[in-house]
Amino acid sequence: MDLEFLKESIVIGLAEHAPLVLAAIGFALLYRLTGLINVAYSETVTLGAYFGMWLNTTFSLNFYTVLVPAGLLAGLVSVGTYFAIFRPAKRRNVGALELIIMSFGLSIFLRHGLQFVFGYPVRFYDVPPPTSIKVLGVGVSSFRLLAVASVAALALALYWFIQRSSFGLQIRALASDEDLARASGIRPLVVTVLIWFIAGVAGGMAGAFYGVGSNVAPLLGWRQFLLILLVVLVGGAKNLGGVIIAGVGTGIALTAMTLQLGQVLYGDLILITAFIIILKVRGRRMAETGKV
Amino acid sequence: MNLDWLDAFLISGLFDIAMVTGLALLLHLQLGLARIANFGVVGFWGLGMYTYGVLYIQVDWTIADPWRFLICAAAGTIVAGLAGLLVGWLIADLDDDGVLVGTLGFATAVFILATTEQDLTGGAIGMGGLRFPFDVGSTKANESLWLLILVLLVAAILFYVARVHRSPYGRLLVALGDNEPLARSLGKATFRVKLGQFALGSAGMGLLGVMFGVMERFLETSNLGINLTLAAIVGLVVGGTARVWGPLVGVLFTVGLFDIVIQSYLPLPRSWYNQAIPVLREMAFGAALIIVLLYRPFGILGDMRRDKLMRRIHGD
Amino acid sequence: MVTERSEVATVTRPRIHIHGARKSFSERVVVDIDDLILGEHPIEGLIGPNGAGKTTLMRMIMHSTSLDEGKISLLPTGSKDDVPVVLSSMHPHKMAKHGVVKSNQVIMDFEKLTIWDSLLLSLTEARYEQPQRIFSESEVFAEHADEARKYLDLFEFADPFGHAESAGEKKLLDIVRCLLLKPRFLLLDEPTAGLPDELTERVMQVIRDLAATGTAVVIVEHDLNVIWNLSDKVHFMAEGSVILGGDPQEIREHSTVIAKYLGEGHV
Repeated sequence: MDLEFLKESIVIGLAEHAPLVLAAIGFALLYRLTGLINVAYSETVTLGAYFGMWLNTTFSLNFYTVLVPAGLLAGLVSVGTYFAIFRPAKRRNVGALELIIMSFGLSIFLRHGLQFVFGYPVRFYDVPPPTSIKVLGVGVSSFRLLAVASVAALALALYWFIQRSSFGLQIRALASDEDLARASGIRPLVVTVLIWFIAGVAGGMAGAFYGVGSNVAPLLGWRQFLLILLVVLVGGAKNLGGVIIAGVGTGIALTAMTLQLGQVLYGDLILITAFIIILKVRGRRMAETGKV
Repeated sequence: MNLDWLDAFLISGLFDIAMVTGLALLLHLQLGLARIANFGVVGFWGLGMYTYGVLYIQVDWTIADPWRFLICAAAGTIVAGLAGLLVGWLIADLDDDGVLVGTLGFATAVFILATTEQDLTGGAIGMGGLRFPFDVGSTKANESLWLLILVLLVAAILFYVARVHRSPYGRLLVALGDNEPLARSLGKATFRVKLGQFALGSAGMGLLGVMFGVMERFLETSNLGINLTLAAIVGLVVGGTARVWGPLVGVLFTVGLFDIVIQSYLPLPRSWYNQAIPVLREMAFGAALIIVLLYRPFGILGDMRRDKLMRRIHGD
Repeated sequence: MVTERSEVATVTRPRIHIHGARKSFSERVVVDIDDLILGEHPIEGLIGPNGAGKTTLMRMIMHSTSLDEGKISLLPTGSKDDVPVVLSSMHPHKMAKHGVVKSNQVIMDFEKLTIWDSLLLSLTEARYEQPQRIFSESEVFAEHADEARKYLDLFEFADPFGHAESAGEKKLLDIVRCLLLKPRFLLLDEPTAGLPDELTERVMQVIRDLAATGTAVVIVEHDLNVIWNLSDKVHFMAEGSVILGGDPQEIREHSTVIAKYLGEGHV
């Protein structure tokens, strides 16, 4: 294998798709806690991009300054959706399938609603062109390098937090059995709100990275949603480590295929097909019905 | 026949209502009864439309219309049905998450292929060159004719769905959606049934896509986004997933409200129609899904009343 | 008793052979059976304390739970010349075709279907349940209604055109669904739990009649009166294995059984 091709695939793959890993971590957190696919998570990503752009253009702040606030705002929106929609839904015993459809409705609502706030046209971050830095002989923009660094830092932090800290233990306990967790003194509401917040922050920051790299449009998050979903389902929502590996692998594979085939969409297509086949092969587990 | 009252907007609006109703009816069997979360409706619809259009234009036909049309229409329907067979096979033993991802992935794949193979499909720019299969005069007359044909087609689908509710097959679909392991323990081959149902539904969606292709006479990939799937799901959920008439009622209250009432009859400022109204439409649809599923999960028409149905069919 | 035995011996009855079957959940061995044959007698009982693995064993036979090791096979006529049909790798929906049917311990119901629907679902053959046969309901009803009515009357369902409301009704409905499948090997998991005495009696009679016609019946029960009354043989299971087998009288008097189970009171 061509060493140049390999280097480019890895470096560019990591740099360009670092936000995917970040978004996947956030989604996986939420998926592990609720067991359900929240389609509106893609709007957390989109709104992160918009918030960052708005802070950047309104207050003339540079990208590095707006990154974290954008994430925090997105985290707040995420918590807001929990209290407004998902918590009431759980109270009313809405079924699993119906919850997915509701989250789909929320996604659509937010995706279009934001246009009444931020306007219809495509928007852009007002930032000077980033410097190009050479990594292993391959040129990467400084923004993208920051993305990789942030993702790595966040991923490690979250991994440690969830898998190793005592708070993380509470989260894992809550995810598996709420009544038992409550009986052990864990306060479900606090932990739940924290998870929704962290997931929102991760998604929002991912959105900001996507946005500064190209443009800010209502479909920004939705365009990534299928890939995020596949990475999380295939990476195995059981373990954040698996999601990170799947995300990184996906990013590198996508770049490699784009370099090879000359067309971005072909890589998407191959990946979608491959992931669905993996899920199908693994999905045989459904045959064990248990109750009958 | 005096068709002056039937202007272009109205024809277009009625066409949309009929088409989305048809899709919602097919989705009723899949999602409403058998509980298969098909988020890829637009994929099968689009595959039917593009197969029809691409064959019609790109092949050097020696046969003339209407045979050319019939062959291409049949091809579109069959290809969509075969895709349904493939996708159905992939998802029929997966849980809701897997079905969501599989169907969404399929719809995305259709969009990708239509975009990348632009020599064949016209891609994002679009492809014209389609004609009405039989020419009965003015554009309006032709459009009216095809609106009528579509309405008849959807009426046939509605009749079929109503009959399914009253037949052993329908009972099996309900049982399957309600408690699949229990149905299996009674000897029902649930995988095969779901697969067959999915393939048939997909073929129907493909046919409706063909109809759209005939009416629009222009293929463009912008139609392959999530909006159509949303409209079908909203129509189904708002009207009621459990009842035969649910899809029609739901679509009238949603698509009908926006595409006809608001579009044609409400005296709103002209500038609003370009962007504000379409965005508002989607917002309203999203909100409708949330509100209905939270407060009235069985939709406007309420839950299935099989006790009434059975009494009516078999009672003395 | 002796004459009944010889009558019964001339009827061919299927047998189920459980061989080296093991199943664990989260590292705990739940079922571990070396060699067991079920169906040698018309009605066999399976008893044991909670957690003994009885329901799991039943689910393993029906392949709704897969085995970690071992094999479960069906001998269709119980004779040595039979070609064994392997159940432990069979698609669950094919069980009914081989005549192997199980009722449910946990209440399993179709919430959206009426009682009539449930019965017709059991009775309707696959050839009617096709997408194109949208006018066949009256034909199906005409063919099967009488058979269904037999059980509707016997168990006194209040409103067959309605839904099963009480837990007892749902339990009965589950049993009737099984009976309508014309099973050759019937597994009943706590069939009389929650039923009033009158109906328990009728269920027992139906089981006796069924067994007399050549169906092998295995009953899991906590109501030991049902077991002593019905069974020709009783298996006692504890901690995943069948530790005793014999006729009801022997089992009742066995000290281990009394200590482990009867002495502690029924669970």
